[in-house]
Amino acid sequence: MRDLKPWLALILRRPGRLLAGALLILLTLLAGMGLLALSGWFLTATAITGLMLAAGVQAYVNLYVPGGGIRLFAVTRTVARYAERVYNHDTVLRLLADIRIRLFTRLSASNTASRARLRGPEWLSRLTSDVDTLDTLYLRLLAPAGLAVLVTGVVVGGAWLLGDGELAAVLGGLLVLALILTTVLVSLRTQRLTLKRADDLDRVRTTVVEHLEGFGELTAAGRAGKHGARLCRLAGSVARDQATADQRIGWHLAGSGVLVNLAAVAALWFGLGLFNRDAMTGPVVVLLPLAVLGLAEIYSTLPDAFGRMGAMLGAARRLNRDCGSDTGSDSATSNHADKGIQTATDGAGTGDHAVILADVTVRFGAQPPLLKHYSLMVNAGDRLGVVGPSGSGKSSIADLIAGLQTATCGTVTAAPCAYLTQASVLFDDTLKSNLLIGNPQASDLDLWRILEAVAMADRFAALPRQLNTWMGAYGHQLSGGEARRIALARTLLSQRSLLVLDEPFTGVDDASRERIARAIDPWLDGKTVIALGHGPEALPGFDRIVRL
Amino acid sequence: MVAGLATIIQMGLLATIVHRGIIDRVPPPDLLPWFLALIAVIVLRGFAQGLQASYAANCSRALRARVRRELNTSWRRSGPVGLREVSAGTLAREWLDHVEALHGYFARFLPQLALSAIVPLMILVVVFWLDWLAAIFLLLSAPLIPLFMALVGMGAEKLNQQHFEVIGRLSGQFLDKVRGLTTLQIFGQTASATDALRSRSNDYRRITMKTLRVAFLSSAVLEFFASVAIAVVAIYIGFGLLGYINYGPSPELTLFSGLFILLLAPEFFQPIRLLSQHYHDRAAALGAASELLARMDRLAPRPQPCLVSGAADAPASPDLIRATGVHLAYPHQPAVLDGLDLTIRLGQIVALTGPSGGGKSTLLHLLAGFIHPDQGELSVFGEPPGNRPFGWLSQSPFLVQGSWADNLRMTVPEASDVAIAAALRRVGLGPLLDSRPAGIHSTVSEGGVGLSGGQARRLSLARVFIADYDLVLLDEPTAGLDADSEVYVLEAMHQLAEAGKTLVFSTHHQALLTLADRILLVNNGEVRDA
Repeated sequence: MRDLKPWLALILRRPGRLLAGALLILLTLLAGMGLLALSGWFLTATAITGLMLAAGVQAYVNLYVPGGGIRLFAVTRTVARYAERVYNHDTVLRLLADIRIRLFTRLSASNTASRARLRGPEWLSRLTSDVDTLDTLYLRLLAPAGLAVLVTGVVVGGAWLLGDGELAAVLGGLLVLALILTTVLVSLRTQRLTLKRADDLDRVRTTVVEHLEGFGELTAAGRAGKHGARLCRLAGSVARDQATADQRIGWHLAGSGVLVNLAAVAALWFGLGLFNRDAMTGPVVVLLPLAVLGLAEIYSTLPDAFGRMGAMLGAARRLNRDCGSDTGSDSATSNHADKGIQTATDGAGTGDHAVILADVTVRFGAQPPLLKHYSLMVNAGDRLGVVGPSGSGKSSIADLIAGLQTATCGTVTAAPCAYLTQASVLFDDTLKSNLLIGNPQASDLDLWRILEAVAMADRFAALPRQLNTWMGAYGHQLSGGEARRIALARTLLSQRSLLVLDEPFTGVDDASRERIARAIDPWLDGKTVIALGHGPEALPGFDRIVRL
Repeated sequence: MVAGLATIIQMGLLATIVHRGIIDRVPPPDLLPWFLALIAVIVLRGFAQGLQASYAANCSRALRARVRRELNTSWRRSGPVGLREVSAGTLAREWLDHVEALHGYFARFLPQLALSAIVPLMILVVVFWLDWLAAIFLLLSAPLIPLFMALVGMGAEKLNQQHFEVIGRLSGQFLDKVRGLTTLQIFGQTASATDALRSRSNDYRRITMKTLRVAFLSSAVLEFFASVAIAVVAIYIGFGLLGYINYGPSPELTLFSGLFILLLAPEFFQPIRLLSQHYHDRAAALGAASELLARMDRLAPRPQPCLVSGAADAPASPDLIRATGVHLAYPHQPAVLDGLDLTIRLGQIVALTGPSGGGKSTLLHLLAGFIHPDQGELSVFGEPPGNRPFGWLSQSPFLVQGSWADNLRMTVPEASDVAIAAALRRVGLGPLLDSRPAGIHSTVSEGGVGLSGGQARRLSLARVFIADYDLVLLDEPTAGLDADSEVYVLEAMHQLAEAGKTLVFSTHHQALLTLADRILLVNNGEVRDA
């Protein structure tokens, strides 16, 4: 439960909405129960009166109040149900956005190194499904459970008022038992099975991918069939766990149904007893069991939701683990957001030197170090080229300067920099928004000028939406070289005095490269530039070169 | 079904008890048999419901297992070459997630569909018997149940599509930002990205809610009919009991029949309401199923000419690899191999060379039995290719998450620890193995650091070493290797040759060409000795 706490707190930050949504559900429920109970009351009352009338006894029953009530309940139930669904769906979408934003701020506060193991499409798709799992926490779990308790209380209270304590106690006992059966017990009995489901599925997925990647070898060794059977067994055992959980949920649902029905029977039994002693009128005797039967509606939604408790816990646990610690409140996060970067580049007061690497070693795990006792000093205003073959540690130097990586030993001091990473990262957004990331204050004119410099202006001037052209998966497709030039343009827009360009011209053909290298020169003026590449020809103009 | 029947009986008993207790003023103790019967029916109903859930869960599990087995079979039929056209991730997702998506349909939707056809009908029959006028009310309020379901279906379908599309878009936006988080951090733009995320979420929410408001109407209609039907039935019966209605069966209404009808009215609509809740299961399953079927269709191998190796004119010899008149062409392309006649003796070391795209890999795949010729005959040591286990080293080595031993036992499960260690040493992985605390039982990629390409290739070669194959096929065994690994691979292949294995490999590498007894030049559909 501790794992769910931060998410519960997040959800509860919209108390007004949650309460309104819950009230709508309550209204729906009460109208449903009222409709049936009042109808039962009405029938019994009319039956008794009808018999008396037939026997010639003067009798009178008010038809208009219950008749109107029945119609009112019928309409209320429909309207409330509709309103409840619309309103609560809206709430779920809001909560989903809240959860995503919270996660994003948490992730932004973490540093790159701690996220290194979290890359890759599997992790990202897991993140999505985990978030989706959490978004139903309120609508499927909290609200129905809370309301079930409330409505049960109302019914038991009503039984006490209309009947006696004995009736209320028996009803209460049976219903509380049903409540426990559909909530606590279900979640306890399925938690173990559903908690590890996501992990089990991941394990099976890995094995399936291995099976497919090694399919040639397995076929050659005559083992494709046997190994395939192993996959089926693995998947089968996960499916069996799930089936077991589903079966338990099914039995709990059936059990709670039995209990609720038994409560209705008990209400009838005691009611008839009271009726015989003239302590209760006939119509009320019928009203109570029918109201109890109406409870079944909310009880029946509970086992399924609580059966997924384990999955929710698992999702929350993973998100807590992978997405950094909670930063508490959002107001604090905006200040914290870029902490991961800033801490490494604290010591900007380096005098004439823009960058000082002193005796730096970088190594990952047990592998030989990428950089060993490396020192580098770059004066402000210098243009330095760093060249070396792939794997020589170029990108590590760039990451160190940008503060994306910390040195295993040695010290790094560097001014805040604009860094063009080896991968060209463009967002699913407009060209303009993509460029403005480099400098939010840049005018459209600035943007066109920098696009001109990287020889992309003509390309976008020809498109109908120009700077507002949508990029990325849903938008305009760019080649690798074109994406590179946009990423370069974004970096050059930055006002920071230190530029780190890691392989700035990857995927750009030779002719364009020379043209662009000349054209961007004005943007490099007065800045310290460190450009890295596998050869000097792959770099813009430089004063000095270092080979690794 | 049983549960549905039990429900009807339960409601009947309930109505009987009320009638006898209140109208006939029978004291509760005298009604005890009725009460006991009622309790028995309630328990029976619960039991039937539990059994139904249990049975549905098991059926769906068995079905998913069968679909997975069939997918496996279709993978095997298609062979390693056919499978390579699709990414392993995609296939794995289909095998796992798409098959999982069938669950809801078979465990929830289908049983509910059957119930919503049967249970309302049973209830209608009972109500008709009690009071045909009330039955007509029920029938009218659910004008035609199929129409209802179509309405629900249309609404749910739209809702489903809209919902998932928006959720997909939103999570796309979110993932996009997470993916580029480092870039945002570099430029100090995480705060503004958060704002963008928030405002875009709100925009999407507004758009979705617009369509959802319409989509939810269909279920509201269902709700409305259900509520109104109960209300109308209740008021009709009430007036009938008072004797205000003298038409049709109304004067015969008693508290028993009236209450019975009233109790059955909500049950009449309940199955359809549940069905509409499970509707999204259907949409998800249909989408997944159509993709699975399309995949199986695409993986179905090209029709193979019925070829029996060892036809009369070319007797299959147990110590020869023999190809006679082998022809192979991919659709709309010139033949990769045309009229190939080739004999390779047991123990021969054959290098295939020639320009890339010339057909070297195709020839290796033919010998491996991964693909089949369009015409001609091919036999490997007297059997069709691929019949007997052989060694295969592909260009892309694969690793299993787990220990060194796990990696080697994947293809040779019976290998002993000693044999595994020896095989690894043979390909020069000895020093690396010694540096690991648990030897062959330590994980291959320790501390998240994987093997280099060359080390991985050598690990794959160790798989070949550990099994005693007569034939070893290697696709570019030294391509893209560092100098160190290259030496080990050469040495290992030399050892295989010494051991009398038949080796066939494609290569451009000079050192490997000198290792061969025979060099074949494969180009433009022709294979000739160089």
